[in-house]
Amino acid sequence: MIKKKDVLLKIRDLKIQGYSDETWVDIIKGVDLTLHRGEVMGLIGESGAGKSTIGAACMGYARDGTRIVDSSIEFDGMELTTATEADRRMLRGSRIAYVAQSAAASFNPAHKIIDQHTEAPLQYRLKKRLEAQEDAMELYEKLRLPNPQEIGFRYPHQVSGGQLQRAMTAMAMSCRPDLIIFDEPTTALDVTTQIEVLAAIRDIVDEYNTAAIYITHDLAVVAQMADTIKVLLKGEEVEEAPTKEMLDNPQEDYTKSLWAVRSFESPQRHRPTDGTPPLISVKNVDASYTGGEKVLDDVSFDIYEGMTVAVVGESGSGKSTTARVITGLLPPSKGEVLFKGEPFPQDYRSRTKDQLRQCQMIYQMADTALNPKVRISEIIGRPAAFYSGLKGVALKNRVDELLDLIELEPSQYYNRYPPELSGGQKQRIGIARALAAEPTFIVCDEVTSALDQLVAEGILRLLDRLQNELNLAYMFITHDLATVRSIADEVVVMQHGKVVEQGPKDDMFTPPHHPYTDLLLSSVPEMDPDWLTTLLEERGVDNVGDAATARIDPNDPKVSGTNA
Amino acid sequence: MSVFVIIYYFLLLGASCLAAYFNKRSAFLLLFSLTLVSFILGIVGGVSALRMVAIAAGLMALAAMVSYAFREFLIAIASVNMAKELRTAPLTAAFGMFVIFTVAIAGIFAPWIAPFGEAEVITAAFAPADETMLLGADQLGRDIFSRLVFGARNTVALALAGTVLAFLLGALAGLLAATTGGWFDQLLARSSDVIMSIPSLIFALLMLSIFGGELANDTTSFWLLSGFAVVTGMLVVTAMAGKSLIGWLIGLAILVGVAVLFSGFMLAIFNPSEIILILVVAVIYSPRVFRLTRAVAGNVVVMDYIEAAKLRGEKTWYLIRREILPNSTAPLVAEFGLEFCFVFLLIAGLSFLGLGIQPPTADWGSMVRENATLVSFGEITPLIPAAAIALLTVAVNFVVDWMLYRSSGLKV
Repeated sequence: MIKKKDVLLKIRDLKIQGYSDETWVDIIKGVDLTLHRGEVMGLIGESGAGKSTIGAACMGYARDGTRIVDSSIEFDGMELTTATEADRRMLRGSRIAYVAQSAAASFNPAHKIIDQHTEAPLQYRLKKRLEAQEDAMELYEKLRLPNPQEIGFRYPHQVSGGQLQRAMTAMAMSCRPDLIIFDEPTTALDVTTQIEVLAAIRDIVDEYNTAAIYITHDLAVVAQMADTIKVLLKGEEVEEAPTKEMLDNPQEDYTKSLWAVRSFESPQRHRPTDGTPPLISVKNVDASYTGGEKVLDDVSFDIYEGMTVAVVGESGSGKSTTARVITGLLPPSKGEVLFKGEPFPQDYRSRTKDQLRQCQMIYQMADTALNPKVRISEIIGRPAAFYSGLKGVALKNRVDELLDLIELEPSQYYNRYPPELSGGQKQRIGIARALAAEPTFIVCDEVTSALDQLVAEGILRLLDRLQNELNLAYMFITHDLATVRSIADEVVVMQHGKVVEQGPKDDMFTPPHHPYTDLLLSSVPEMDPDWLTTLLEERGVDNVGDAATARIDPNDPKVSGTNA
Repeated sequence: MSVFVIIYYFLLLGASCLAAYFNKRSAFLLLFSLTLVSFILGIVGGVSALRMVAIAAGLMALAAMVSYAFREFLIAIASVNMAKELRTAPLTAAFGMFVIFTVAIAGIFAPWIAPFGEAEVITAAFAPADETMLLGADQLGRDIFSRLVFGARNTVALALAGTVLAFLLGALAGLLAATTGGWFDQLLARSSDVIMSIPSLIFALLMLSIFGGELANDTTSFWLLSGFAVVTGMLVVTAMAGKSLIGWLIGLAILVGVAVLFSGFMLAIFNPSEIILILVVAVIYSPRVFRLTRAVAGNVVVMDYIEAAKLRGEKTWYLIRREILPNSTAPLVAEFGLEFCFVFLLIAGLSFLGLGIQPPTADWGSMVRENATLVSFGEITPLIPAAAIALLTVAVNFVVDWMLYRSSGLKV
């Protein structure tokens, strides 16, 4: 796959320092990188590995508070570190382009997409406005955006996330650059839309023989996109090899551990057969936000003691709303929630202390779920004191015990504040806070989606261990089917506020599926580098993403007959 | 050419050359441009102009040295964490802290510092300064320095009390409105809009002319102050008691007791007309505090940790005290400094108009008015209390600027 051509970008001994605590600290510690014309290189690593920093450095750019020190960045024979700012700016946009993670945040909401698209070619006087607009429409068509003639004249908020990401790729292409830097372009997207964007990016990069640096933390994605893969860890290179070789035969231990992440799988548990009522039972629930449309439509499922029910679906399918109904934050407009066969008050304010204690929540963003100005000891200690009335030494012992339970050293964390902890540690504190209430049921709302794969696996293992030790029931909301595969006992698939399919995990992962489940399942990238090609051949290029969702035949017997 | 001028240019040129030699660009630019300006000034204004420049520069250097030393002093006596914070303070903030510290000392120890009493007539009207009177005498022959020292006590104490009350009412109402929402929030927000829509000075004049005359007696001011305290306390009781009736009853009982005690205590310190003034200030300024607090708390209330605490079944008072307040203190403290300045200026302004602090009590605002006639004779005496007002305002703002900078930064 590698095209042996002349070198486009050559980085030697890249060192970048960041300013913190009144000293300069090395962020990137001497990374070499060679990129040929038309080559796609994948940069992977955990957050904090310096992927994005290297991506920016490829444009000769150092973010605020960082600086590039005695390194050499040579782009097509031009040394960027010694070039003037004006010279570097001449490259950006015209010869090196950048596609950011969040297209929605990177487009200016006040201007039409096409005006932002044509800005660079007009600025560099490469094309006249009308020519540039025609070219933009051509690119939109190549990227398979619907209504290519018209879509550019909309404002960014008027198109969907996946379309916007493709429009941004088109914009990066507007001057036919030699190099595009993709900084996690699909991380924020659903699996079904991700495919569209991946296919579009891959085709267009191929067609114009553009070199690309593809930054991501998702191995399966990078396997589809890249010719070579470079693994980074804490600002240092771990190894670099062609994709095929890297996947089949990783050399370093760290790379192997990354590859092995998805191996964790907890054994399947089964519902009790002695007729005990389910712990939580959601019965024919309809719900809507004030004045809005129905978000949930006749949702029913059961969660049994000590079991994990995974709720999956795209964003907007009503997963989190269901959780809000169960916790009592959003009283349902119809239907009810039963706890051990007894009706649960609909509003959390009318629940008793004990009822509140039974049902705890772990949040997606640990940053916003922990009060930054409260010590760890109080964050964890408060529920224990609040529900069990513990005080003084007893309380301290309980907090120590909980910290032990989540595998953090009590003496070290007792007096610290959340901002001093890493993402994974914060999520563990969030778990400890839920456990402090001694609940029987915990809602886990996308708890691992903001974390790196290695850290996420640690959290999943921890949750599984706690479940076995404390006989907890989990409602696990996620859009990541790999997570479902590793931790769930039962799966509920939701789409447009309806449950489209539910059943034990093993059944769900063996065909025949509901078409929507099938679509979700087949959209999860696999480590096989030919996966995307095969998938596109099977489905046809135009049958991915929204188009595929729309194609589900409403008369299919599985669609109408599975709402059990 | 006098020796002074020679030394003056020698020092400036020498310093510029040194700065240039050691590559201190900004210092060099400053020093050398000063040299160039001095050439012109020297030609136009002669030696006296240069002397003025030298004195100004000397004063600036003195202020800088005082600030630097004062900051080092604070760092030396503060705890480890405080010292770390203080190290980030710029010299301006240190200067501000020094001025505030000085005014506070002057106010607290006024009877011991001032050589004469605050209403004591010791000499002829408008007597010039001599050994016993540092700054001369005012229109009745009272010592201006002594009155300045006592004025620090009166004006600052009044402004402080007014601001604290405005903050208690405004911040509590804002926090409660942000946490509860709904009609309660709407009611408070709209009534604060009404108060804010009336120009503050005119509103103050109106209220003072209603309550200022015969109503400014012990009984009226006691009841007004108690009423204010009860309203403020009601907010706390609402947040603490929630829906329980017994909680309300106990809360109200305690509240009335506290309010009466508080009013008695305030009456022991201030006289009735001052209490009216404090209340007027508190009523005028609390809507602004309410606005800010509500906005800041509104951003905090939507966080997941608040939702977690609500789901735990926490009462509103716990939410306010432990979850929201720690996350909104920084902007509130900064706002406190700013509002203090405004209140201070408002009281000084009211005193200047004759409606604020009543004679013979010394007060910086009324001191400006009483001596205003002297300005036409080219005397700077009336400008001294005005300068004191300006200095304290600037000093507080220096400190507030630093706090604002810290709270807006990426600090944890």
